[in-house]
Amino acid sequence: MMETTEHSPEAAVSVHLTLNGVPVTAEVSPNAILLDVLREQLGLTGTKKGCDHGQCGACTVHVEGRAMNACLRLAVMCEGQAITTIEGLAEGGRLHPVQQAFLDHDAFQCGYCSPGQIMSAVALLEDRRVPGDVTTVREAMSGNLCRCGAYQNILAAIQDARLRRHGQEGGDDA
Amino acid sequence: MTAIPEHHVVGRRTPRVDGEDKLTGRADYTVDHRLEDMLYGYPVPASIAHGTLESLTLDAARAMPGVVDILHHGHFPDLHRSPNSLRQGDAVSEVRLPFEDDRIHYHGQYIALVVAETFEQARAAAFRVKARYHRDAGVVTGLAASDDTGEEVGHYMRGEPELAFGIAPVILDETYTIAAESHLQLEPHATLAEWRDADQHLIVHESTQGVFYQRNALARIFDLPPERVEVISHYIGSGFGNKLFMWPHAVATAAAARWLGRPVKTVLPRQQDMMTTGHRPASRQRIRLGAEFDGSLASIQHDSLTETSTVDRYVDACGGATPSAYACDSVATHQRILPVHHGTPCPMRAPGEVSGVFALESAIDELAVALDMDPLALRLKNYAHQDPQRGLPWSSKHLDRCLESAAERFGWASRDPRIGSMGDGDEIIGQGMASATWFAGRQPCAARVTLRADGSVFAACGTQDIGTGTYTIVAQTVAELTGVPVGRVEVRLGETRLPAGPLSGGSMTTASTLPAVAAATRDALAALQEVATGPGGDFDGLYPASLGVEAGALVAEGRRVNFAEILARHRLSGVTGEGSTAPGDERQAYSFRSFGAHFVEVRWDPGISRLRVARVVSSIDVGRAINPVAARNQVEGAIVMGIGMGLLEGLDYDPRDARLINANASDYRIPVHADMPELDVELLDYPDYRFNEFGARGIGEIGLTGVAAAIANAVYHATGKRLRDLPITVETLVSPD
Amino acid sequence: MRTFAFARADSVARAVESQQGDPASAFVAGGTTLLDLVKLDVMRPSRVIDINALPLNTVERLPDDRLRIGALVTNTDLAYHPDVLADHPLLSQAILAGASSQVRNMATTGGNLMQRTRCPYFRDAAAACNKREPGSGCDALHGVNRMHAVLGGSSECVAVHPSDMCVALAAIGATLTLHGPRGEREIEFADFHRLPGTTPYLEHDLDNELIVAVTLAPPLVPLGAAYVKLRDRAAYEFALASAGAMLSLDEELIGEARLALGGVATKPWRCREAEASLAGKRADTAAFEAAADLALADARPLSHNAFKIPLARQAIVRALRDAARRAREDDA
Repeated sequence: MMETTEHSPEAAVSVHLTLNGVPVTAEVSPNAILLDVLREQLGLTGTKKGCDHGQCGACTVHVEGRAMNACLRLAVMCEGQAITTIEGLAEGGRLHPVQQAFLDHDAFQCGYCSPGQIMSAVALLEDRRVPGDVTTVREAMSGNLCRCGAYQNILAAIQDARLRRHGQEGGDDA
Repeated sequence: MTAIPEHHVVGRRTPRVDGEDKLTGRADYTVDHRLEDMLYGYPVPASIAHGTLESLTLDAARAMPGVVDILHHGHFPDLHRSPNSLRQGDAVSEVRLPFEDDRIHYHGQYIALVVAETFEQARAAAFRVKARYHRDAGVVTGLAASDDTGEEVGHYMRGEPELAFGIAPVILDETYTIAAESHLQLEPHATLAEWRDADQHLIVHESTQGVFYQRNALARIFDLPPERVEVISHYIGSGFGNKLFMWPHAVATAAAARWLGRPVKTVLPRQQDMMTTGHRPASRQRIRLGAEFDGSLASIQHDSLTETSTVDRYVDACGGATPSAYACDSVATHQRILPVHHGTPCPMRAPGEVSGVFALESAIDELAVALDMDPLALRLKNYAHQDPQRGLPWSSKHLDRCLESAAERFGWASRDPRIGSMGDGDEIIGQGMASATWFAGRQPCAARVTLRADGSVFAACGTQDIGTGTYTIVAQTVAELTGVPVGRVEVRLGETRLPAGPLSGGSMTTASTLPAVAAATRDALAALQEVATGPGGDFDGLYPASLGVEAGALVAEGRRVNFAEILARHRLSGVTGEGSTAPGDERQAYSFRSFGAHFVEVRWDPGISRLRVARVVSSIDVGRAINPVAARNQVEGAIVMGIGMGLLEGLDYDPRDARLINANASDYRIPVHADMPELDVELLDYPDYRFNEFGARGIGEIGLTGVAAAIANAVYHATGKRLRDLPITVETLVSPD
Repeated sequence: MRTFAFARADSVARAVESQQGDPASAFVAGGTTLLDLVKLDVMRPSRVIDINALPLNTVERLPDDRLRIGALVTNTDLAYHPDVLADHPLLSQAILAGASSQVRNMATTGGNLMQRTRCPYFRDAAAACNKREPGSGCDALHGVNRMHAVLGGSSECVAVHPSDMCVALAAIGATLTLHGPRGEREIEFADFHRLPGTTPYLEHDLDNELIVAVTLAPPLVPLGAAYVKLRDRAAYEFALASAGAMLSLDEELIGEARLALGGVATKPWRCREAEASLAGKRADTAAFEAAADLALADARPLSHNAFKIPLARQAIVRALRDAARRAREDDA
């Protein structure tokens, strides 16, 4: 019923998330943005705020496996959803292969856009609908600005991670 | 690259030591810091550019949940101004204190700071603040809209440039303009201020390129001894110059924190960041060249006019590189500034010179066309084998090698110089080139290095890493001198508690910092040698300096003992060395500059008026690259920024009222992934040992210089249109129908 | 960013019901327009209704072979849907030419129709804008209007409709299903968006209704389609001018042609006269240029955007040429 989910502007709303694999409940105001809740309330500051308007991609997280701008999403819209941030990529103290590729290829400078670049890259590599050619990858990554201009190395890192991944998959198939 | 011997770390490709922190989200940027009991500040920007703030209506905002206070003119502590001295290290970007009076000098100037319990509450209340203004007549919307030629602030002359121009058989007289550009560094400016000890101790986290400058300025403004102010900036989401000197948001935030007795964090919204924390000012430059028929330059005159604000003076010296660019007996430059109603400009990557090099290197290309000469040959014809400005030899100059090497890799020899002659399907290929240059400077620097009992090394210096890789090259330097692996060197930067380090600017960090780090490392090793040769030491009785250093151990007489063992034997936690270095008298004997060449291929599709940069081949001569992987990254990134400067970027001020209408990351266009061309960057390896013991000049800025000119020159080759106004956009290229 | 109440809708009927009598309430689907504009204080809903739980996120093939797209299907899912790729490549191309991966993952089909203009004066709460604040004037008319419309503008408003997807929908033809207090009704896509005229604040034909589906017209056969988008950056930027073209070819003669423009008009702009001029003609440059001239006959430049007229002309000619090439390939 609508009545049961109506929340006044000042009321705190409980939001239940699966955040980096862990169930989390946050009390948020209706106008709280996912990005601000992650950073200021839940202490996950790896996700960055660059423009706050979906123009730079520094805040990219995965919502149900899809890359999204956390700055353009209400926290209350994420009820029951699985959210992965940059802090949730590395497993068991080992860098995610895409993080490792970024390190190997020096695919960053100041590092501020890097969490967003990496989250976009991981989602891109996992989305089999998106072709893997360089032109497509460049377009698909264009929602992540890098003012330091490390685009060449970012592209190299992504394509390297793609190759390694396919190598592994080939191995699995055999 | 020459091969680096196995045991050397300096000059070897080294993954960044801070990489893992940055790539996992652990790196602590200013915006990431939180304190117990912290409040959030959200500035309210003026919506006019020139006038008076008549009144503020704050009742609605004050009544909003969570609002603690709203600071504004008349409700703000009395503070002092900073003397704003570069020499004394307290320079600020804007001397006027926030809310100092009711005058409005530019769109976006703060008229209030809302402070609330949460970010959401502060932002919600900021939108409820109502302001009434009186708009003054006479708004100056930009130099393009003004006939005023401004005020002369600098000039240079040698020879008889007017006379030589008058009698030269071939002359060129053209005017070039560049739109104001935004740094658009990804991390917005941010301040977290906390007061301790009954308001006698101020701790500030700030995203800054100069912690010591900000400390000194805050000490002046709040009338505290400098040692009672701490500024911390471990990670900086880049700056490109607009984080060199403090802006008013930091003063307002620190004042609010003292006023309210709680820590306050202010992160500038992107729109306000672009309005209030500087930009590269718009410029108009006139270049006059006179040449002989054989291409010899007889006269160069370079007159520049750049914008400043009405609230402060900033000079973007466009002619800086011109006097030393070419062998020419008669050269003059003039620099003028014009106050306009924009936020105060500030240095932006290769400030001044990058604008000047665009104009000069475009003009040289035009001259080559007029002379029917190859533009590369024209540059070599006028090659400055020594510095014609100072009459001194260059410490190390290999521009000729840059030009030749890049030309060869690019395939310049097979370029058909006829306009529009190189077709490929729907597209026409255009090829152009330009030289690059940036001065090489050095600043005083201090550092401290501790050899620790666990065998690791700790190195500290109060400079910053703005993304250029300073953490890593400091670690490399320590590793080089101690033989301890890079991974066992802990580097701390970006704190005023550390030995004083230089600004991260002007491409001076490497040359300034490494000598101090090396001196501190040697001092620490000397301390360890003394311990080891003292009573009961592993090398008791030997002369301290006779001990060798090898892979984290002291060696002598066929024996080697690890640092850790030596320290353990003496029950020491560590030994510490200090180093402090400054430029010597080398500048009396040599001139120091970096050089480079960019060759650009554009693709022009006249059927749809589409212009794209397809390929850039560059060779850069910056001496020794300490970490070639990070150095190359700097140049590649600068080229990308140059594409923005050439084809995309410009701040739009409304021609009626000087309001900035594209202060966001969408309407102000910076290059995206898809704009990146094929890049081939070569770093020549000619160490400049006359500059410092590592042979390194800086690399942060040079890559940007010349890119826009090479693009414009390539556009001319493709289209026959000589475009002298940046950015070059489709309206100047499309055929009118 | 102002505060607002929040509700989640669990059925279309209740979502619509919940909105009644509350003109300041807004639906949120992807949120990419709404939250952007709420942060700028341009949209000021007192109440936001989350419709993401509604069962509107599938693409289905109707018995008559048309495709019916649920309003909550994301732009990404729509662009890569096999039936869309097969029947309506223009739609896929147009969607993928717009925004960023992240925004396409968030933005929905219905939300894209409701996208608001990018006019900087509309987006600046301190500027005069008849769309945002009726009667306040239009700062764009004599201001920085490089990005503004040359078609469909009025003395009250010259703001461009920014969608790429809608350009494809205009060319393809579609029927919208709207759910309102009096139940469902259907409306042609072409009639959905309004010209600004003297009421630029009335942007579309919704009457307290929710868009629930978009049903695409049957495809042309054999089909060649091309979306040509011209802009300053190579990606992630709104169009200066774009053209979506579809052609069916019989030998070298054009059977049916469709043409729509983006980036230059106040609503997704279908060029019916130009389409008609192409029918039965040889698919050559002369025909394409004549069609482009017809399409732009009524174009009127502002102080900073005269270049858009020749640019749009080029986009049209190139889109028609490429569509014809693809039709030939398709036929072969």
